[in-house]
Amino acid sequence: MQAVATLTRPVNRPEISPAAEFELLFRTHGERMKSIAYNHLGSVSEAEDAVQETFLKIHRASDTYNGESSFSTWAYRILINTCYDILRKRRRRGDEESIDANPIERTASTVDDAKRIMLRRLLESLPEQRRTVFTLFEIDGLSHAEIAETLGITEANSKWILFSTKKQLQEQWRKSQ
Amino acid sequence: MTITCERIDDLLFEGDAASLELAETHARGCLACREKLDDWNDISRTAKSMQTTWPSDTLWPRIQRAIANETRSRAPMILRVAAALAVTIGLAGILAYALHLHHEKQKAFDQAILRVTALDEVERAEKAHLIAINNLEKLAAPKLEEPQTPILVSYKEKLMLLDDAIAECQTNIDHNRQNAQVRKQLLSMYSEKQRTLQDVLREGNHVSNP
Ligand SMILES: [Zn+2]
Repeated sequence: MQAVATLTRPVNRPEISPAAEFELLFRTHGERMKSIAYNHLGSVSEAEDAVQETFLKIHRASDTYNGESSFSTWAYRILINTCYDILRKRRRRGDEESIDANPIERTASTVDDAKRIMLRRLLESLPEQRRTVFTLFEIDGLSHAEIAETLGITEANSKWILFSTKKQLQEQWRKSQ
Repeated sequence: MTITCERIDDLLFEGDAASLELAETHARGCLACREKLDDWNDISRTAKSMQTTWPSDTLWPRIQRAIANETRSRAPMILRVAAALAVTIGLAGILAYALHLHHEKQKAFDQAILRVTALDEVERAEKAHLIAINNLEKLAAPKLEEPQTPILVSYKEKLMLLDDAIAECQTNIDHNRQNAQVRKQLLSMYSEKQRTLQDVLREGNHVSNP
């Protein structure tokens, strides 16, 4: 997966059209956004809906983007809020969290599916912020600085949330196997 | 350096390669910490394997279509709200009066906002509007579902435009909760919506009790 490009503003290349610029943003950040959405929602179709909704929101708000945060963290913040909205709607409807059976390409690994399913179940039981910090750091490889900017918390706070979340998971890990 | 069991958590909190290496060195001679560290690493390894990717050739075209549809169907917000107001009110005199009222309200609001600087108070005001709007919406729903008069049709259109504008505003607020200007816009749109719903209810009464 591509490294997080930290554009200073969404449209910063005068030689290419805004439409092409927007597509470039999708090409640069889309894969990671899909993964973040999937790891919050557990469903490929809902993850794609969330990414689409996020790009629409970015398009609507692009003239108000003030460049205070990097474009990627701004986009991730909108994406995560969109995922939270979907999760809340799902909870209001009383739906179970879904785990997609769709075939998905994962990074090459020797970890078996049972462990992944167990970790996903444990993550579902976590409060939103803990789950997001863990997902962004451990699964999607964001740094604490990027997580802090995305979630509007301090880096120290991000580090602390990750540590205490992993401690909590560690206590349940052996019992769940 | 000798590491004691008590220091393992500090090293795991730091989480950098050097700290984890120190923890590893200690764990080689300590069964309790070995188990702990194995689980810790197992969780990280499992998490890393959950980075997910799938081919989605249709996603970008879908996004492009959605953006194009939205751009086509959206005249500039200000024009749409102005058009809705003009359709609804119809008379220039009333419009002028409304503008005057709006101006007065704006002045009052500006003064209020100076006093009410704390964000949570603005949020309380938003919540109060939302509660009022929810109640009014319930009451107005039967009249708006199948509007019986042209004016009710225009009110319905105006409410739809306001809902769009409110959604747009909320997106901006998601991006920057501290933006007083946007929050001010949102509050004034809530007021407008509340007022329009009250108008709908009044209009409904004229219809049912001529
Ligand atoms: Zn030990």
